[in-house]
Amino acid sequence: MTFDYMAIWDNRDILSQGLLTTLIIAGTAIPVGVAIGVLVCMLRISKNRLLRWPAIAYIEIIRNIPLLILLFMMFFALPFFGVRLSGLTTGFICLSIYGGAYFAEVFRGGVEAVSKGQFDAAKALGLKYGFYMRRVIFPQLYGYVFPPATNIALTLIKETSLLSMIAVSELTYAAHDINGRTFTPVETFATIALIYWGISILFLKLTSGLQSRIEVGHISRPITIR
Amino acid sequence: MNLQFLEIIPQTGPMFVATLYTIFVGIIACAVGVGVGTGLLLMRNSRFWLLRKFVGLYGSFIRGTPALVQILVFYYALAPLMGINIGPLTAGIMAVGFNSGAYVAEILRGGLSRIPAGQWEAAEALGLPKHKTWFRVILPQVYNSVIPLLVNEFTMVIKITPLLSTITVVELTRASQMLYNETFRPVEVLLLAALIYFVICFSISQYGEYLQRRSMKYRL
Repeated sequence: MTFDYMAIWDNRDILSQGLLTTLIIAGTAIPVGVAIGVLVCMLRISKNRLLRWPAIAYIEIIRNIPLLILLFMMFFALPFFGVRLSGLTTGFICLSIYGGAYFAEVFRGGVEAVSKGQFDAAKALGLKYGFYMRRVIFPQLYGYVFPPATNIALTLIKETSLLSMIAVSELTYAAHDINGRTFTPVETFATIALIYWGISILFLKLTSGLQSRIEVGHISRPITIR
Repeated sequence: MNLQFLEIIPQTGPMFVATLYTIFVGIIACAVGVGVGTGLLLMRNSRFWLLRKFVGLYGSFIRGTPALVQILVFYYALAPLMGINIGPLTAGIMAVGFNSGAYVAEILRGGLSRIPAGQWEAAEALGLPKHKTWFRVILPQVYNSVIPLLVNEFTMVIKITPLLSTITVVELTRASQMLYNETFRPVEVLLLAALIYFVICFSISQYGEYLQRRSMKYRL
């Protein structure tokens, strides 16, 4: 069996365009996912049932349905309701919502790991809920939530590959494209696998650099997705 | 728009068959995963440097690349490269199993770290050979302690089976795609598929959590 590396090199602009799209989607979906996660986490830990139950339903539904089904649902359902969005926007929204549920669960794990005395002390000092959450509880959270949250961010980077199924021209789609033109499946898929691997290693290096500055606690139940 | 479930209900037969198929694929892939994971665990504890290094590299690759890309690589690249001609189902099960194996290895490693050193010493004192120590003394205890986590791993496997639809395995996602291409009712069909996935994954993960709570109770 011979390898045709020129097929990859000749189509390098398609690959780099795909890589850029992948990075853009991941780079926007992760912060939005974290924001949704913080919001849903606040609802999830609230004492009010009307706030808590929708948050629980959201987390459990998203966590127990494959992302592909969510993507297809959004991609096909929105036009039925008269909303026309590009595949890119649909994918971005879907990934944010998906990531939000997992981030919320991670943050909740962190809040539960902070010792109860901290809450009691903050209340005893007469601090307001919003204030002590922001200034007392959340700063202690970083050590607990950082490792699992990076895990989920990495997963979101990887899950962008599913957007190729709804015709977003990201890295995996670019590989399908090149494979369709040149019929070199071995080279193209091996190449994108290596690119994804490189992104992941780079991402983990960057985050572990950040992590070493933060005191690392441990979380009782590690939450991972893929 | 209005949802018309009544129209598609008479035609959902293939979807329920495909549900069983998904569960079947999940079980086989999980079994492959446990096998691969055990192999990786043994290799990690081997005295050969190369094998230990390989486990690290394998774990990094599996965790660093998307499952979809792994499936595509396995189906389009790896199998033809090795000169074996395997169908999409076998390739898919193997790819998902090898993916799961890396995570199962991590779970087993966690279980192994909880085995007290006395077990090793006792086995050595009894003069058990190395393989008997592993397979008759250590591994049974490891498996026993990680059952709740393995149950959760099964839901993870179920959640990556939809990716097999890309390599034409007719599991639940593929079956629903075929159905909505026939009926032009994607929303209803996909909602039903989502419901089926939810019921499977939610019930299994709740069972896993129940097992975990119970094992916590016994440990304390």
